[in-house]
Amino acid sequence: MVEADQTHAIEVTINGERQAATVPARQLLVHFIRDTLGLKGTHIGCDTGSCGACSVIIDGKLVKSCMLLAPQADGAEIETVEGLSDGGELSPLQRAFNEQHGLQCGYCTPGVLMAATFLLRRNANPTEAEIRRAIRGNICRCTGYVNMVRSIEAAARATAGSIDAAARASAVIDHKEEEAQ
Amino acid sequence: MLLESVAYARPETVDQALEMLSSTDGAAPLAGGQSLINVLKHRVASIELLVDISRLEELRTVQDRPDGTLEIGACVTYDELEHSEPARAAHAVLADVAGHIEDQQIRNRGTVGGNCCLSDPTNNLPPILVALGATMNIQSAGGVREVPAEEFFEGYFTTAVGEGELLRSITVPPLPAGGGAGYSTVAVGADSKALVRAAAMVRADGQIEDARVVLACVAPAPFRHTGMEGALRGSEATAAAVREASLVIGEDLSPPGDVHASADYRREMARVVARRSVWQAIEQGGGRRG
Amino acid sequence: MTPNGVTAETVTRPAEPTEEVGQWAGQSVPRVEDRRLVQGQGEFTDDVWMHRQGYAHFVRSPLAHAKITSLDVSRALALDGVFTVLTGEEAREMCSLPFFQIAPEPAGKIEEWPLAVDKVRYHGDAVAVVLAETREIARDAAGLVEVDYEPLPAIVDTVRSADPDAPVLHEQVGSNVAWKGTYDWGDIDWALQNADNVVKIDRLHFHRFSSTPLECNAAVVHWDPGTDTVNVRSNNQMPMFASMVIGPTLGVASNRLIFASQDIGGAFGVKIGSYPQIAALALLSRKAGRPAKWTEYRTDHMLSAGQGNERVFLDTEVAVLKDGSILGFKTRAFDDAGAYLHYEPLGAVIWSQVCCGCYKLKHIRVDYTETLTNKCPTIPNRGYSRLQHLWFLERMIDIVARELGFDPVELRKRNYVQPGDYPYETPNGCVYDSGDLPRSLDMALDLIGAERWRERQRALGTGSGKRIGIGIGSTLDSGTNNFGQARIINPQLPFSGNGEAAYVKLDLYGEINVNLGTTPQGQSHETTAAQVVADVLGVKPRDVHVTAGFNQQQNTYVAFSGTYASQFAVTGLGAVKGAAERLREEIIELGAYALEAQPEEIELRDGACTVRDDPERMIPLIGIANIVYSNNAVLTPEMRDRLSLNARYVYTPPFHVPDPEAKTGNLTLTYASQIHACVVELDEESGEVEILDYAAVDDCGTRIHPQIVEGQVHGATALGIGAALYEAFEYDEQGQLQQASFYDYHAITSLDAPDIKVADIESPSPFTLNGAKGMGEGGGAPLHAICSAIQDALGPDDAVVSESHNTSERVWRLVHSGERGDPRGVTVSTRDSSE
Repeated sequence: MVEADQTHAIEVTINGERQAATVPARQLLVHFIRDTLGLKGTHIGCDTGSCGACSVIIDGKLVKSCMLLAPQADGAEIETVEGLSDGGELSPLQRAFNEQHGLQCGYCTPGVLMAATFLLRRNANPTEAEIRRAIRGNICRCTGYVNMVRSIEAAARATAGSIDAAARASAVIDHKEEEAQ
Repeated sequence: MLLESVAYARPETVDQALEMLSSTDGAAPLAGGQSLINVLKHRVASIELLVDISRLEELRTVQDRPDGTLEIGACVTYDELEHSEPARAAHAVLADVAGHIEDQQIRNRGTVGGNCCLSDPTNNLPPILVALGATMNIQSAGGVREVPAEEFFEGYFTTAVGEGELLRSITVPPLPAGGGAGYSTVAVGADSKALVRAAAMVRADGQIEDARVVLACVAPAPFRHTGMEGALRGSEATAAAVREASLVIGEDLSPPGDVHASADYRREMARVVARRSVWQAIEQGGGRRG
Repeated sequence: MTPNGVTAETVTRPAEPTEEVGQWAGQSVPRVEDRRLVQGQGEFTDDVWMHRQGYAHFVRSPLAHAKITSLDVSRALALDGVFTVLTGEEAREMCSLPFFQIAPEPAGKIEEWPLAVDKVRYHGDAVAVVLAETREIARDAAGLVEVDYEPLPAIVDTVRSADPDAPVLHEQVGSNVAWKGTYDWGDIDWALQNADNVVKIDRLHFHRFSSTPLECNAAVVHWDPGTDTVNVRSNNQMPMFASMVIGPTLGVASNRLIFASQDIGGAFGVKIGSYPQIAALALLSRKAGRPAKWTEYRTDHMLSAGQGNERVFLDTEVAVLKDGSILGFKTRAFDDAGAYLHYEPLGAVIWSQVCCGCYKLKHIRVDYTETLTNKCPTIPNRGYSRLQHLWFLERMIDIVARELGFDPVELRKRNYVQPGDYPYETPNGCVYDSGDLPRSLDMALDLIGAERWRERQRALGTGSGKRIGIGIGSTLDSGTNNFGQARIINPQLPFSGNGEAAYVKLDLYGEINVNLGTTPQGQSHETTAAQVVADVLGVKPRDVHVTAGFNQQQNTYVAFSGTYASQFAVTGLGAVKGAAERLREEIIELGAYALEAQPEEIELRDGACTVRDDPERMIPLIGIANIVYSNNAVLTPEMRDRLSLNARYVYTPPFHVPDPEAKTGNLTLTYASQIHACVVELDEESGEVEILDYAAVDDCGTRIHPQIVEGQVHGATALGIGAALYEAFEYDEQGQLQQASFYDYHAITSLDAPDIKVADIESPSPFTLNGAKGMGEGGGAPLHAICSAIQDALGPDDAVVSESHNTSERVWRLVHSGERGDPRGVTVSTRDSSE
């Protein structure tokens, strides 16, 4: 039978690591991520699900982690800003935000990076309008959004460039293999 | 802000959910939670048990039937509706409305059923569902009953869904031949808080044969403005005629006034969004004159 | 060993080769802060955790004005997990004094304590604070504190609050007037008598809003009984001011009141205002014997963190000559400071840094009244006190242009301070340092293609349902305050000048470390300080480590330290440069000593001292450090005594004490300019405004990092557009805040904000060490430009744009004001030329 207790044993995979905990039913997912798991990169900026500072990706979907209860994430795969870089090596998206000055105080940035990650997975070559739509749920009070849009455009170009390069490289290999045969 | 203590359960089936909802005092269904969690954070409603229905696969599909009817599961998210091929093919305006609900995060979690069952008079989907003549399928232990969307939204935060019941799905009939749909909003900012909304379905061929005009945010629930519908019926499908017909909207409305807009402004804007939505419907249906 | 005993190995070891040295200032080098921030490795206040900490939650008044008749905490205390509850009355008993007041008497008699005592004065006023084991329990317990209130009539209108019969907030003051005075420069009566035209504007209203930083206020405060110190880890942006206000109240000496911060999630002036809460948390911690951690919820922030100043200008009269020369104006200004004076009434003088704005106005009279109302206390929000006045001036210019038939561009250019006029002294003794306003305006208009839009506007005609308007906002961003202006408000205040401090040191192995007195919130101080030091010490910016954040026990500071009021490029970098130069002198002296050369022969570059004509003779910085830190017997006793490789410098601007009687003096050191131009389209039937084009031309003197400057311009622009169209804090008649969350307070989004075209001019300031001017606040130019554009789109019979906040409904009312015969709010009287 389904339990209706006040605490719940949950298990999640966060940035590839499995974590189990017992949480109160009323705990917000963002507090589970920040306080229980100690991942402080996910931030809180409002009470109303308006600002997006707490955005994370759950099972491939961008969501605001202050608008979910921790037990709702049971069994889910969660990605947070801490999972974006690989062993301290900045991802093309993170590099683009640095190069294009896409952040100032950095408080909204983790949420924006997650929103941009979700966008670029869905649409590798977004227009400015599509980028603006993709970060509509992330309030930034520093940048006026201008350099954020530029950063995401630059990241898309950089990623597309690497895809092109990979495609070219594999074409060369194919060609050589053909020659070899 | 933080919620009061609450219990949480995640049933495996709709039947289990119904059982929990009917057997527990203060139980309420939790779908996407994009409004409900807010309500709970601000402690303006007291709920003992949240019954999480968001993962119930039976409620999560969009299906097109051979007769052109679209059936949308209550737990289909806005994002899924926006990108659903059958939904877009049958009702592009509906898919577009879903695609302009707030932001990507909310569209990824918020559900069609939640949007309807909250019955916030400013919500996006209710007026278009009423305009399209949708049917709301409400399930209880005893079975499924059908309620026309027009009767479903009863008032501020109240719907036809009773205790021990769940909204299971929404069926939307196909547009009639020569029919088109339209939707218009005046909001505080883009894809943001609505001051007034209108949705329309119009059948026209140079002349307006039939029209459903639904206004929202100006009353406790969306409603058909039969006065404007009557004025449209039989008139020419021109911008001037639509404008003329919209003028019957006026003193009969008693919209709320608040810090975002006065009652007077909402009343005036009701005319504006009504004619914009009707005109869009005429354009979409290809029925404009000339 | 060399003759001086320095090991040869250190002397001859080559420095790491560098590709380029010098002139780092002026380059947009990648920000060093970003690496941690894009990886979620920043440390914001809520990220800090202390052993045994409890979570604090404030109990707030639901009423705007009421007597507290009873306050019962027993149910809250009985809740499992509650450590303690502190009430206003208890807090008062634990305090030595109420908070220091800037205002002279009678408003100086205001008694403000860390929590409200006896009565509440605004919706959100805190009456108690709970400390509990978890956030959730603290919130639950706050709900169990039972407070009975006896409601009192509330006053929310600044003009009416000054009436003698208005309900009084602070009985000991006797009225709601926080400060009142007349600023009178030149001879406005003469000007109005001799003007060809006098334009009278009934009422202009600048609304309340705030930059609402995305990170709310937060603090972890520990009154540590072991060391008898109060440790404040917070995101307060002006900690020395906070310390000076709350130290005497708590009875804690400043050497035991230790402020620290690292990353701050935006502040915009708002985070100057968290000191009452920090004081309450200190007492709470003392009472509980535990650290008290507090993170404001957004609703708390909107209710109580501080809002921007609201101002009303009544009965304005503008004296204009036939040729469009504006002689001056007079007006009656009412400024609404809210329920308590936090930093106020300094706003009552700060506007006068830009009393004539961009214009050569000679005759000015402002009757200024600052009042107390049952609203959230105001706090210096971005553009503090100047943007209200600059908005007024820009409205005045546009209204004069419209009423008298001048082209708004030509009228501005005619009255602007001209490039040849600098240094330009204003009627109140401020000195504008440099600039080129007419060229800035031309550039802005070019960027939007103003000519093309004028044609479109004419072609559009009537009947399209749309109207196009072109708007201009001309502003000055005055930076580096002379705190002596406080004496114009209260001659008893012992404040004047300004300053900032920095440490630059050479560390054990020759590494360079910098500590700042500032508390940045996105302004990139780590990056720009490293650029400046790199230039002075001949290294690369990445060789310079700037300590992230501020800690009172390790950083250096002066009372003015902090990050506020557009001044880091001048004061902060001035201090950094001064300290680096002091360090450079020591390094060169030690290098010369080690290399047995004269200091004049030593070049410091590529991380080493080299003898100019004999590059084989060199000593790297590690060798210099070695001498002082671990090899000091090689030095003379006199050198050992004097040289530390630790250099502190305090930059102080060359200010004098202003004249409180005449209300004159040089109130700010630098004047950056921001000229904005925009095009809007109004929808006639709905009043919806769409921005079709937007340009900002910035002149902040010599730029240290152009990309950062541009980023500040973008941010200030978006916030201003948000304020002009969406963002407002409004109270109903009972004093209930109507926008207490981001649900009702529509913070501008990426869909609402336009792309922004930016260009720049660099007019170096002759008054600063590096030619830079403070910038960042931006002077509210978008408010002026949007209002100007809406005005431009309206017809000649329509009312003037008299509000700074223009919702769709307000614009719709303006569009139809002419046909409805609404009062226009403006009259012109023309002098009879036969007289």
